[in-house]
Amino acid sequence: MTEAVAVTGLGVVSALGSGVDEVAEALIAGYGGCRPARRVEAAPGAHLAEVAELEPRRWVRSSVGRRIDRTSLLALAAARLAVADAGLPPEAVAGERVGLAMGSAFGNLAETETFVERLLARGTGNPLVFPNLVLNAALGYASIELGVTGPSAMLSEQEASGEAAIQWGAQLVADGVVDVCIAGGADEVTGLLWRLGDETAHWSRDAPRPLDLAAAGPCPGEGGAAVVLEPMARARARGARVHARLVPDPGFAVPAPVHGWPTAPDRVAAGLRARLDGVAAVVASASGQPALDCLEADALALAGTRAAVTAPRGACGDFGTAGAVAVVVAALAVSRAVVPPTVGCVQPRRPDLDVVRGAARRTPVRAALVTGLARGGIVRPVRLEEP
Amino acid sequence: MSAVAVTGLGAVTALGADAASLATGLAEGRCGIGPLTLFEHGGRCHIAAQVPELPPVGRVLLPPATQRRLSRPDRFALAAGGEACRHAGLEPRERADAAICVGASVGGMHEVESAWRRRRTGLDARWRMSRLVATPVAVSAAALSQALGIFGPRLTMSTACSSSALAVASAAAMIRRGQVRVALALGTDALCRLTYAGFDALQALDPRPCRPFAADRGGLSLGEGAGALVLEDVSHARARGARVLALLLGAGVAADAHHPTAPHPEGTGARRAVEAALAEAGVAPEAVDYVNAHGTGTRQNDAVEVAVLRAALGRRLGRVAVSSTKSQLGHTLAAAGAIEALVTVLALDTGLLPPTVNVDGVDPAWDDLDLVRVPGRRQALRIALSSSYGFGGHDVTLVLARPG
Repeated sequence: MTEAVAVTGLGVVSALGSGVDEVAEALIAGYGGCRPARRVEAAPGAHLAEVAELEPRRWVRSSVGRRIDRTSLLALAAARLAVADAGLPPEAVAGERVGLAMGSAFGNLAETETFVERLLARGTGNPLVFPNLVLNAALGYASIELGVTGPSAMLSEQEASGEAAIQWGAQLVADGVVDVCIAGGADEVTGLLWRLGDETAHWSRDAPRPLDLAAAGPCPGEGGAAVVLEPMARARARGARVHARLVPDPGFAVPAPVHGWPTAPDRVAAGLRARLDGVAAVVASASGQPALDCLEADALALAGTRAAVTAPRGACGDFGTAGAVAVVVAALAVSRAVVPPTVGCVQPRRPDLDVVRGAARRTPVRAALVTGLARGGIVRPVRLEEP
Repeated sequence: MSAVAVTGLGAVTALGADAASLATGLAEGRCGIGPLTLFEHGGRCHIAAQVPELPPVGRVLLPPATQRRLSRPDRFALAAGGEACRHAGLEPRERADAAICVGASVGGMHEVESAWRRRRTGLDARWRMSRLVATPVAVSAAALSQALGIFGPRLTMSTACSSSALAVASAAAMIRRGQVRVALALGTDALCRLTYAGFDALQALDPRPCRPFAADRGGLSLGEGAGALVLEDVSHARARGARVLALLLGAGVAADAHHPTAPHPEGTGARRAVEAALAEAGVAPEAVDYVNAHGTGTRQNDAVEVAVLRAALGRRLGRVAVSSTKSQLGHTLAAAGAIEALVTVLALDTGLLPPTVNVDGVDPAWDDLDLVRVPGRRQALRIALSSSYGFGGHDVTLVLARPG
């Protein structure tokens, strides 16, 4: 027996703003969140997608939460926003019938950097910071802050960390193990991360150009995004607004270099083909990273999709859980019948792909697919349908 | 709830390069905790259960440049995962669609620390991607997938010290739902300066080899390694004539929602994990014969764990044999859940319960605790539990049984 999974709440904190309405407005207007760095130490003019305001007091309630790190705070903020969007009172997401799934590619980078710097310089660790360095810190803080005591998991799947977490959470709902599940993830950008990527010629210093012929690298970003998932019958019974129905999917893998992008799009296309059936909007993983963009464009073309394609990493920057933002974009496409433009894409890499450019596309979307591509050959698709 | 078969095992630990040497070391009551030589360190603890030799990459389908960039946990994972697949006798076509579920925590941190040192001392004038690609924890699963030709669903989970118990639980769930018929569940973790310095700063490390449940226990000993289990749909295993080593009857996952590092003083999450696991397995507490405990050797963990077992098993506890494998392998962190599940499978399969070594006297507060001491015990088991608790209050219990 499998429960249909309803998406009833959406929460986003990103360079595009805070809260689903603000972010949706920015996306639809084609606003680009990749801007010359302000908070993070980077070369003058280098573009980053930074979260402007993140006030801990707005999101943290518990006393242990006062030591929260930035990545965990991004995740917590997104989770609280999603719960509010679902119209659920805080007590409705506490307890053992509630699940929690969080994703992050790198977790708490900022404090890891200061910890390791001190360790290499002085040979000692900082006991106050160490508990925040576990990859699951965001999960622990969210569980404590929200009072979630049901099944929980932290997932880390490179660029598909957000999709992986959301699918793990969706499965809990489908299995009937929980009444509510909060799923999403967060990653932060730091000066060191920017420097690493700059010295290795990974990042573009300009705004990114996903799916464009001139793509020259992704733009580092940060943010948190989360969804509230409930059994469809329960969501209907409480009169909740259902953004979309999420199809649980464990995903698949394809041959690829261990540390890089798959080179053969046919295996990706073969895996995505059935999942693209009836899909009117594809939310792509493309970030402006040429190897990824090529792979994805070729795979989508090979799969024969005629869907409108949008790549939100052009607007919100590239981070391991940008896929959670992509899921929000897909849910909004279904519920609001709009596909936002791909910021930075002027001349598509493949003319046979219908990449939405310039203005948002108003069109009914009965089904949308987040592709969920990640390095090492991970594919974590998330399909959303009209409820 | 239908059972899942365990048909293959693989391990890399301080006690040896494969599951057989681990089994021998456990049976002989050997302690793998010795001098920490992997990196220079300050602090007051100078021991760890270090894997003596980095396992060779072996004959796998990975280009030489990729092999050179594999991290320590990647190498552990490849050795243990490869061994488990061979042990299960999985043909390439039988594993092509299998799932891979990995529990991991620090990824290539040991390698990153070395790169970091080179960069900050000017040995490297700039950061190099070749020294950084091993960083993400998801790389071990990618290496397993590409090296062994496994292209089903892939998960990398990280809930600190319960990471790979969660990976085992998630793999079993995929089989039960019919999403896959075979899954490779694995935990891998390596010692690194960050982990050492962190636990040292928290004063959680015992300068002597750890003594779980002892009156004079003084903290944990760090360890490293990998443990791998091939899980399989029972009918699939029977149809291909595989030997079923044990059955995974159920899993329980719960959270404390209490504190970033400390367990809930009453172990509420841990208790619910045990109860949920028994409920899923359809097993009464009275049927439990053996518990492979989390048993880190810290004052707080062991006290909470005994309280949890008392609450969940009631009077049965006095008749349940308990051991902590961490006394022999150290705390292998993200690898611990899978390694201890593997040790539990060995105990069910061989009827040889591993001892808790280094312990002179059990804490007198727990006269109802039947701790298996040196030299171990021979006892036919039917039902066993393996529990893991992680920082952040993430608790997992697995229920395993002897087949038939």
